[in-house]
Amino acid sequence: MEIFEQLMGGFATAATPVNLMWAFLGTALGTAIGVLPGLGPAVTVAMLLPITAQVEPTASLIFFVGIYLGAMYGGSTTSILLNTPGETGTMVTAMEGFKMAKSGRAGAALATSAIGSFVGGSIAIVLLTLFAPAVADWAVQLGPPEYFTLMLLAFVTVSTVLGKSALRGLTALFLGLALGLVGMDQITGQVRYTGGVLEFMDGIEVVLVAVGLFAVAEAIYNAMYEGRNVSTMNRLTRVRMNRSEWKRSWPAWLRGAGMGFPFGTIPAGGTEIPTFLSYATERKLVAPQHRAEFGSTGAIEGVAGPEAANNAAATGTLVPLLALGIPTSVTTAVLLTALQNYGLNPGPQLFQTSEALVWALIASLYIGNVMLLLLNLPLIRLWVKLLLVPKPMLYAGIMVFATVGVYGMRQSAFDLFLMFAVGMLGVLMRRFDFPIAPVIVGLILGPLAEAQLRNALSIGEGNWSVFIERPLSLGLLLIVLLVLITPRWLAWRRRA
Amino acid sequence: MNAMERSPPSSPPTQPAHSSHSVVLQVLLSLGVLGVAALLAYGATQIPSEAGYAGIGPNFLPWAVAAALLVCGGLLLRQALTGGFQDLDQASGAPRADWHAWAWVSAGVLANAALIEYIGFVLSCALCFTLAVRGLRLAEGKPGGGWMGLLRDAAIGLLLAAPVYWLFAQLLAVNLPSLTATGWI
Repeated sequence: MEIFEQLMGGFATAATPVNLMWAFLGTALGTAIGVLPGLGPAVTVAMLLPITAQVEPTASLIFFVGIYLGAMYGGSTTSILLNTPGETGTMVTAMEGFKMAKSGRAGAALATSAIGSFVGGSIAIVLLTLFAPAVADWAVQLGPPEYFTLMLLAFVTVSTVLGKSALRGLTALFLGLALGLVGMDQITGQVRYTGGVLEFMDGIEVVLVAVGLFAVAEAIYNAMYEGRNVSTMNRLTRVRMNRSEWKRSWPAWLRGAGMGFPFGTIPAGGTEIPTFLSYATERKLVAPQHRAEFGSTGAIEGVAGPEAANNAAATGTLVPLLALGIPTSVTTAVLLTALQNYGLNPGPQLFQTSEALVWALIASLYIGNVMLLLLNLPLIRLWVKLLLVPKPMLYAGIMVFATVGVYGMRQSAFDLFLMFAVGMLGVLMRRFDFPIAPVIVGLILGPLAEAQLRNALSIGEGNWSVFIERPLSLGLLLIVLLVLITPRWLAWRRRA
Repeated sequence: MNAMERSPPSSPPTQPAHSSHSVVLQVLLSLGVLGVAALLAYGATQIPSEAGYAGIGPNFLPWAVAAALLVCGGLLLRQALTGGFQDLDQASGAPRADWHAWAWVSAGVLANAALIEYIGFVLSCALCFTLAVRGLRLAEGKPGGGWMGLLRDAAIGLLLAAPVYWLFAQLLAVNLPSLTATGWI
């Protein structure tokens, strides 16, 4: 019952008026970000990282995590009403949800999506409360070789599992690693790749790359290619479900949550896989009389399951971050940077050294989840109004916020020029289907992985066999190989 | 030709080829990746390899990444030359870029970068907003709006940049440049 006491202690901190205010601001902002195209939770948190200089850690982490969860809720709204997914995790919602909206049942889709997100999120938070401390306790046995291979697994999954081309994903990853090499080496203090430019001594700022590749690139890409795209919005009906819709939704919610959480906790690249899996499952399991709705008028199970899965997975990604210090998605990678800004080193010891912070954060997840349900059900019309902002104003406004984020970190106008260059790189990458997430993960995790690699080799006295001699490390290496080889082997077999 | 023969129906006007499928651009991109690999390798030669206990020094990862990018660039080049990048999802949007719109938006971002430390956050970002909005609106094919439109955009830019500045600089103590010493503009 020690967990229960710690959780209660966390509630005591999370429920203070200041922290409640931050939770509310975070969830509200997150919902708005999720609804609006062009910004995601990762880049929003990145743009707001300068506040870590002034705001105390518990408050700012509650704020950032609120943004993360809120974006998951908000993204579904755009998927259902506009068929443009606000978030990648809501791509599947766009499939059935948009169909439901077109047949006049937008309200039911939005309701099942909000409540499903709440159910999925709540179940995942409880599981997180139970498992995260246990994982952290177990993780004390992990040494640098295991950490290195875990990070290697994270690299490989984020580059190759999603997206069509593993080659392009890996190229993006290596670009991110290359960017991470600029600056001073952590272990020897050796200066690398600065080319004599003073501003590169401290390395390339994460916020700069994230904001450049996402926000600036999005605005420039829109100006270059998407000007003539017209999106039509579906009519918003009353946000409620009738009895049969409830009956069909709740088993889908539970199944979705069950699938979403485990996938979120492992380095499997984020929320796409569980949502697609949930969709496929719901399609198989749907009662025969409703089967025809899939793909035509829109089946409610196809929204309920994936929405629960997506929120459960997003919450699940916090487990490896808090317990192991390993981010498995872009947003958690940026959250890692926030923790580092405070000098907190995420890892199993975080549960010991910053116990109060971690439990306050976990407690605030419960609070935030309830806030999000309230924000998304009755207040949905408010968020939908946001979609009326004309695109040019929206993207130009994003540039202003991007400036705050990038300049606010290091007070350097050079960084703003670099941000533009990175933005153009982002446009190129988007045009030629190079995924962007691996660049960010490579940039943030690369230096950490290098440190673990060199520590591991120190332990092994310069022998590379240290990775194979330890059973867990060997096992992880085999999984890495499996992830790399299996898709290629399956495709080869299919062709044969 | 027999007058009774029907002439074939006219084909639909041809769309310009989608630039993401352009072999030239793909080859250039692959060469770019190889160029980055070469730069990394050159830089790696300048990094000493003192290994200490670790067995690998600060130049190990630079060499490893350079080699990896060399392989990736080579494979990309091969794909580009033998039929284009594989499994390429056609990127969303128009087949060709609107360079006019790009020029305005880029001008906004670059002007902001150049001027922010001289005229302060509020004025610089208002300028960025004005130029970027014009570019994005041009992309949609809507009229620029002339002088009145410009003034209106500038006003909206100011109405956005000023509260943002006050929120971040005053309330959240983020260090943003100002024009005057009052801290409000």
